[in-house]
Amino acid sequence: MKSMMKLLLTGAVFAGMFAPALADDKPTIEIMSSWTSGGEAAALDIIKTEFEKRGGVWKDSSIAGFGAADAAFQNRIVAGDPPGAKQGVIGLAAADFVGQGLFNPIDDVAAAGKWADALPKSIYDLISYDGKVYLAPTGAHGESWLFYSKEAFARAGIVEEPKTWDEFFAGLDKLKAAGIVPVAWGGQPWQQTKVFNMILLSQVGIDGFLKIYVDKDKSEASIEGIKKTLDIFGKLRGYVDDGAAGRNWNDATAMLITAKAGVQFMGDWAKGEFTVAGKEAGKDYGCMIVPESPGMVYIADSLWFPKTGDAGADKAQKLLAEVVMDPAIQVEFSLKKGSVPMRADVDKSKLDVCAQKGLELMTADNVVPDQAILLTPQQVGLLDDFVDEYWSGGSNDMASAAENFFAIFE
Amino acid sequence: MPIKRKPHLSATFALLPTWFVAVVVFIGTMAWSIRLSFTNSTLFPSSTYVGFTQYVKLFYSAKWLASLQNVLIFGVLYVAGCLLLGFLLAAALDRKIRFESAFRTIFLYPYAMSFVVTGLIWQWMLNPTLGIQASVRSLGWETFVLDWVVNRDMAIYALVLAGVWQGAGLVMVIALAGMRGIEAEQWKAARIDGIPVWRIYVSIILPQLGPALAAAGMLLAMGVIKTYDIVVAMTNGGPGNSTEVPAKFIMDNLFGRQNLGLATAGATVLVLGVITAVAPFRYAIYMRNRAKGAA
Amino acid sequence: MARLHPNGPRPTQITAGRIGLYAFLFIAALFFLLPLYTMVVTSLKTMSEIRLGQIFSLPQTLDFSAWATAWSGACMGTTCVGIRTGFWNSVAITVPSVALSVFVGAVNGYALSLWRPRWANVLFGLLMAGGLIPYQIFLYPMVRAMANVSLYNSLAGIILVHVIFGLPLVTLLFRNYFVSVPEELCKAARVDGAGFWRIFFEIMLPIAVPMVVVVSMLQFTGIWNDFLLGLVFAGRDNLPMTVQLNNIVNTTMGERNYNVNMAATILTAIVPLAIYFLSGRWFVRGIAAGAVKG
Repeated sequence: MKSMMKLLLTGAVFAGMFAPALADDKPTIEIMSSWTSGGEAAALDIIKTEFEKRGGVWKDSSIAGFGAADAAFQNRIVAGDPPGAKQGVIGLAAADFVGQGLFNPIDDVAAAGKWADALPKSIYDLISYDGKVYLAPTGAHGESWLFYSKEAFARAGIVEEPKTWDEFFAGLDKLKAAGIVPVAWGGQPWQQTKVFNMILLSQVGIDGFLKIYVDKDKSEASIEGIKKTLDIFGKLRGYVDDGAAGRNWNDATAMLITAKAGVQFMGDWAKGEFTVAGKEAGKDYGCMIVPESPGMVYIADSLWFPKTGDAGADKAQKLLAEVVMDPAIQVEFSLKKGSVPMRADVDKSKLDVCAQKGLELMTADNVVPDQAILLTPQQVGLLDDFVDEYWSGGSNDMASAAENFFAIFE
Repeated sequence: MPIKRKPHLSATFALLPTWFVAVVVFIGTMAWSIRLSFTNSTLFPSSTYVGFTQYVKLFYSAKWLASLQNVLIFGVLYVAGCLLLGFLLAAALDRKIRFESAFRTIFLYPYAMSFVVTGLIWQWMLNPTLGIQASVRSLGWETFVLDWVVNRDMAIYALVLAGVWQGAGLVMVIALAGMRGIEAEQWKAARIDGIPVWRIYVSIILPQLGPALAAAGMLLAMGVIKTYDIVVAMTNGGPGNSTEVPAKFIMDNLFGRQNLGLATAGATVLVLGVITAVAPFRYAIYMRNRAKGAA
Repeated sequence: MARLHPNGPRPTQITAGRIGLYAFLFIAALFFLLPLYTMVVTSLKTMSEIRLGQIFSLPQTLDFSAWATAWSGACMGTTCVGIRTGFWNSVAITVPSVALSVFVGAVNGYALSLWRPRWANVLFGLLMAGGLIPYQIFLYPMVRAMANVSLYNSLAGIILVHVIFGLPLVTLLFRNYFVSVPEELCKAARVDGAGFWRIFFEIMLPIAVPMVVVVSMLQFTGIWNDFLLGLVFAGRDNLPMTVQLNNIVNTTMGERNYNVNMAATILTAIVPLAIYFLSGRWFVRGIAAGAVKG
């Protein structure tokens, strides 16, 4: 049957129009990523340059948009022709691939580079499956950040970073009065969920946060926390502009860069956009953990290494893993991307004030993982649906919404 | 009547590749989807059968139900809007006007644009902070509101607007061709009877264009069920669920959400729904044609 | 044969009705042209002018640099080569796909309507059902099948995929066209001893030229504008322009370069647009010749 299909299919098309990729003795790797915004691309370029310096050949397959990149990647896997590396977050999304035996372990690189000592234990555990290391971490992102334009704050007469949500909303009122868009809101579900989570952490604390997402604890306390979160979250609706729906995060950041808007809730990758635009942390823009928050939500990026069945690519994967974990590269990459280096043993002096703050929280273990690390992709999707529905539905019925929240775990 | 039946080897042979596609690709895929819809497949196909669980989940999903409702509203308004505007434009162009071919080109060119580009550009034009609203306000009309893409109640109509902009030209061309095929005598007779022009279009010409317009409607409807690109480019399903469509729901679950079982259940429901809706219609046409052939 | 122009002289009187008619046409033309106008003027502005937020105003000076950037310098991830490579990829994908699918569609329509082999109606029904299935659901099994025959991530593969997904539409259009061809034509040729293929090439294909034009234009537009199939099946060396457009539009350098995005968008749409502008007349003629019937 298969050979008949082959015959028919090849017969129907004029053959011989494609040539296999050129074979080279240099370790060649195709890397698929959706890091296409300014800071992201600049950061990827750091890895690329070093990889090429060490004799590797880099083939870039950038696909904008996580959805499109996921679709392309999964189909390449299905076809048995995966790229040599894929950029992806550390978390349950990778688990199924590893479970199906589709990724190459990079145990020997990890052992040689003493990753177990260099990385925080929690991260090391997350990149290992059944005792073997599979993912090469590039950097951690703090996701509890509130960025603000110093110019906008000055124009509105805000002199101090708000300590509480009440102070915060008072500040937003001042911004509004000064004719500035108070919140540069990115109205896409994944962004809204991040805001929801940073507020949640500020309301229920680290233990409460883990209880909800890890233990799926539906106690009175948890429900009360969700309600308080939804209250603050819902209030924000009054401070966004008309164009918020569907806005990309980098477009929202651009509103701060041009001082059209006052604040943005976002992960620290937003710093990459400020950097590309020549703005400096602490001088042109400020960064603070959201009010009342005892810590920070984090997410971690990594490279995945699918099995390609090609010895050259295997070699390249190992080289790439080494490059990614190189202490100098970790710092350089983080500076461009806006992230915090994964390695604890790197030179921190170069990091900006925001990254320093982030690193402080990381080392003190005052962090909780992002939902992508804790939930399955289905649950992450349902959480996005829940938050988006509440945000855009305009309802203030927090009690029944809090009830619905727990349905995402079923 | 067809040429008398004898095994036409060449004809049969010529259709073999198409048979292959129809059976292996179309039926094969459908069978594969239906089978997977009864499993708990996540990222990859699994063979653990779970009965109707995925279907139950599907119909508890507010997003899925909203997507069905949206595609229905969008489909009806989009097809009807294209037919109406296309017919009106054709009738206007049929009135012996100047610059006919320039107008025709203007009305037809959007059909060359992809749904992605159509979605992007209309998203921009209807975005209140960048587009028409901002421009009108800066001219001095401070309270002017045109915020369809970001307004939950209006976003679906923004999609319809963009869709009609893209598709009306096709209907116009088809209707115009039909109008040009109408005998001059019919016109003369109607004019002698003193029937006003608009009445001639409505009660004499429109019925004669029926089959051509039905074909145009069919062409457009085939696209409706697959509506995906324009939604992703314009609203990405939002705000909320207000522009979510089934093809996007399926796509999201197929890849990003790693939920093959639910995606295939959605596809199965969609296809079965369409077939039950279309089959009686096609059957009626088939019977009508047979009756005609026998007469 | 249908006329392309209304007959009789153009009325010379100016009546309220005529004014209303022209008013309707001009307003409609405005509605249809506004998006294109906006794209063109935006692509010719500098970023500092775009920041003023007047999307409908004319550019103060004509600045073509955004076009140059979009064509050969815009960045996608770490590579900054514009969309020119995608342009040739799109040509290489679209031209053979259109030629092949028009040919297959013509043969199908001809065989189904004039020869009616056994099960013709069943086959047609299956194709129509296939045309209604959202093609996302085909991706997964198709990818598997293509990989099995080593056509995945190749130019031949993506062409084949386009031909397969175009089958329902092209078959429908050609079948409806050939149904209206007088049966006698075919019969007479057979009496003269002509076979299936000779009748097709010597009689039917020449008759069907208007239809070939219509189907070619529809298929060309559809395939040129495709994003998803190109993304999944073409492979990184053959990615069509639409995939690169998506990359460019989503790549920002601190600020969204609307002028470059608009220029890239127009460049992506320019080939199908040119075809409609230049041969729209043939499209209309083809449809007038009975291309689309119930």
